[in-house]
Amino acid sequence: MLRKSLAAAALGAALMPAAVTAQELTVVSFGGSYQAAQSKALFQPAAAALGIKLKEETYTGIADLRLKVKAGAVTWDVVASGSGSAARAGAEGILEKLDYKVIDTSSFLPGLWQDHCVGGDVFSTVLAWNTKTYGDKGPQSWADFWDVKKFPGKRSYRNAVAGSLEPALMADGVPPEKVYEVLSAPGGIERAIKKIKELKPHVAVWWSSGAQHAQLMKDGEVDMVNGWNGRFDVVAKDGGKVAYTFNQALLDYDCYAIAKGAPNRDLAMKFLAEISKPQYQAEFTKYITYGPTNRKAYDLGTIDAAYAKRLPSHPDNAARQLPVNLQWYIQNEAKAAAAYQNMLTE
Amino acid sequence: MARGASLPITIRQVTKGYGKVLALDRVDLDVRSGEFLTLLGPSGSGKTTLLMVLAGFTRPDHGSLLFGEEEVIRRPPHKRDVGMVFQNYALFPHMDVAANIAFPLKLRGTPRADVARRVEQALELVQLGGYGARRVDQLSGGQRQRVALARAIVFEPRILLMDEPLSALDKQLREHMQIELRRLHDRLGMTTVYVTHDQREALTMSDRIAVINGGRIMQVDAPRPLYERPANRFVAEFIGESTFLPVAASAGGFAHAGRVLKVAAPPAATGRCLLMLRPERLRILAAPDDALNMLTARVEDVVYQGDSVLVQAVLPDGCRIGVRAVSTAAAMATVARPGDTVTLGLAPEDTVILGEG
Amino acid sequence: MPAERANADGLRRDALRERLALFGLGSPALLLVLVVMVLPVGWLFSLSFLSDEGALSLEHYRRMLEQPSYARIFVTTFQVSALTTGICIALGYPLAYVLSQLPRRAANLCMIGVLLPFWTSLLVRTYAWLVLLQRQGVINGWGIELGLWSEPLPLVHNLAGTLIGMVHIMLPFLILPLYGTMRAIDRDYVKAAANLGAGPVRAFWQVFFPLSLPGLFGGALIVFILCLGFYVTPAVLGGGRVIMVSNRIATDIELFFNWGAASALGVVLLVLTLGLLYAAARLVRLDGVLGGHGT
Repeated sequence: MLRKSLAAAALGAALMPAAVTAQELTVVSFGGSYQAAQSKALFQPAAAALGIKLKEETYTGIADLRLKVKAGAVTWDVVASGSGSAARAGAEGILEKLDYKVIDTSSFLPGLWQDHCVGGDVFSTVLAWNTKTYGDKGPQSWADFWDVKKFPGKRSYRNAVAGSLEPALMADGVPPEKVYEVLSAPGGIERAIKKIKELKPHVAVWWSSGAQHAQLMKDGEVDMVNGWNGRFDVVAKDGGKVAYTFNQALLDYDCYAIAKGAPNRDLAMKFLAEISKPQYQAEFTKYITYGPTNRKAYDLGTIDAAYAKRLPSHPDNAARQLPVNLQWYIQNEAKAAAAYQNMLTE
Repeated sequence: MARGASLPITIRQVTKGYGKVLALDRVDLDVRSGEFLTLLGPSGSGKTTLLMVLAGFTRPDHGSLLFGEEEVIRRPPHKRDVGMVFQNYALFPHMDVAANIAFPLKLRGTPRADVARRVEQALELVQLGGYGARRVDQLSGGQRQRVALARAIVFEPRILLMDEPLSALDKQLREHMQIELRRLHDRLGMTTVYVTHDQREALTMSDRIAVINGGRIMQVDAPRPLYERPANRFVAEFIGESTFLPVAASAGGFAHAGRVLKVAAPPAATGRCLLMLRPERLRILAAPDDALNMLTARVEDVVYQGDSVLVQAVLPDGCRIGVRAVSTAAAMATVARPGDTVTLGLAPEDTVILGEG
Repeated sequence: MPAERANADGLRRDALRERLALFGLGSPALLLVLVVMVLPVGWLFSLSFLSDEGALSLEHYRRMLEQPSYARIFVTTFQVSALTTGICIALGYPLAYVLSQLPRRAANLCMIGVLLPFWTSLLVRTYAWLVLLQRQGVINGWGIELGLWSEPLPLVHNLAGTLIGMVHIMLPFLILPLYGTMRAIDRDYVKAAANLGAGPVRAFWQVFFPLSLPGLFGGALIVFILCLGFYVTPAVLGGGRVIMVSNRIATDIELFFNWGAASALGVVLLVLTLGLLYAAARLVRLDGVLGGHGT
């Protein structure tokens, strides 16, 4: 252990000859149970393996990073982020380009890394329902979600545009593989918004956070919701009457990036390489039902087979889902968000 | 302003207790129609409580209160139709002077034109003609007092209550207002009940004074008999200065230090009694005078007080008494000095003997 | 000659020194106001006029004009604030009145009750309302159990829930200044009104009520302005249907990564609030509201 640490330290020193004391890496994430899982499964073990000191901070989102970069006062190295936010932040130039010669993504599931960020976990925006209301005959598609005659009950839907338009189009009869095509075409966004307006009278709550939609299901406040799969597993584990399907779910991932001008850029790159290894990824699934981005994590045998089948990135599940198209979001999110907010306030 | 009718007030057995303390203890009092009656007493005596019972703000435990022939003890304040001047005037700060005075008239549905006329009349009556548009906070203390009075009389109540209305004014203004209030009363003729703790004010203004202490009426009388023939030691002490010497009943009357006292009228009291000595009724005699009751005393101190000079002296039995003399230049030239032994004279008419207690 | 003006210079210096000492006492507060108020507001103001690239631009304001949702959010914000203020007045005025008529000791005790909510965090209280009001919450549970109603009433995740939560939080802010003003109203005024012939109702409306107005305006203004900036309560109890400016600011920061857009919203809200304050000040004498109009 000591030898390994010394070696890592020596390596670090060789990489950054000017910063002899800079063996402390600062990682920032969203806090809460999510960051607790990251810390236990990824950050702390990786830091120990590299023999470096680690400082963890929390932030509210990329807007915070933007301020720091603009002010030239970047103190963070590694930044945890949603894939969409990272893509836009990368395009804006407030993230470092990642060096995939250092970070090995050869065994990653396709599409789970990008120029400025490397995937850390895979999650799904799924259709969840109250099993007390619908028993085992729950809704199985977004068309069912929209069908208030066949499935009477209160809905909850996201109060932001991300992941909200795709289900509407699928409910409107667009096949999953055509969703982004339709959305990119003129009138596509309007078509989705119009479909959501149809459902609006039945939406009791427009949720704003994962914690909120989990609580809504736990309390039985609504009967059906679109939301993040990991949260519902936690609710079900606590005895909540909730089930969900990966059918027509939206496959998305959280990722890690390096802040533009990070004080320890090269060390951060090593750190990202470390946490992208399959053993870390497998460990992470023990804390939350978000899947590994590295396919090899399933081959290690440390993830229970039955459990693995419940993870979003399991091949059986991934096949039934629509991967989120980040490119579309980079180009259209601002415009779509304006239309969505307009719909909400109408 | 038309001379309004006035009503007599009959108070019977009015009692008000606060916990174990009786603020009013079976009070009986008759206020004659058109009379200026003052309730006089120390603070906490119950005089203000009695006034508040008259106004309807304090609900007594039991008793009867008649305005004229009418029982009003259970009538709420706004239906009693009595005028009242509050100690702090209670002029409405959000209204100007005219609106304050018009307030009771408007409540009584007086026609608009009459309101303006009567407000101006009332203002003139209190010598504030033309002050209608002033804000209340632009007025001096004396002016506020007059406005409060105007507001209390503008609706021609047959009974007027005043709760120490002059206590906030300085001495000169107060004395001026005492005369003015009394004159106004004489002009309007409404039955007036006036509360004060200032005995001089009570003596100056009242037709009669009711002295109250401990929730009970001690004496009701016109100023002069009240001062000169107080019913008991409390009244005597509360009104004017006085010293008391124990006297014993003897064959020929009452005696002090072995000498029988000459009195103008035989006292009602019997047994152990007190001789009341008022400083201004005693005189230092140049030579003994057998027509007077005489006391020998040793002068301790001489205090010059401007309008008079107070000689403090000690009787042989150790009693300390005061003698007030005029402060004319002639008198000052011959006034006694500390250490002198003097003979004091008291006329039989001024010799008052009270029952002890 | 010098004797006539003996010590004049020294005395003047003493007076000056006293004034400086007074200013010295006030300077920490002035500095604080400068640092925590003026600077951030100035920074906010300047950010709102910068584009994403840092150039001078009105794009954030243009966006607010172009997208109808912004105008609706401002309308909602002012509506919710006005409704909250109105309900606070309807509930708080009688309560403050009763308190002001109680003996001081009893009133102080009741006041502790009024202020009790201040001792728990706003977030806790807001979530407590969620627990009480939701579909399977305490109130609906009891109501249905007792047969008062059969279907769960929509008490939360809507305007009603938001108003309940906001009124609960805001009520003390109305009652405190109002109670102070009412307490200071000399009881003799009402007695005088009664003595002059006004029954209880007229004495109240013609004398007590006008005299309590400075406190009412002060309290209402505090409540209204605090409501304008509310975030947590509409976010938790509004179900995403009551979107106020603060909620939109949070969404915009997430969406645009950008403080400029949010700053512009903040600036507009500030300007509208100041405008309102100015209008209110012209309507009522502001010194009466802010300075405690003496009697």
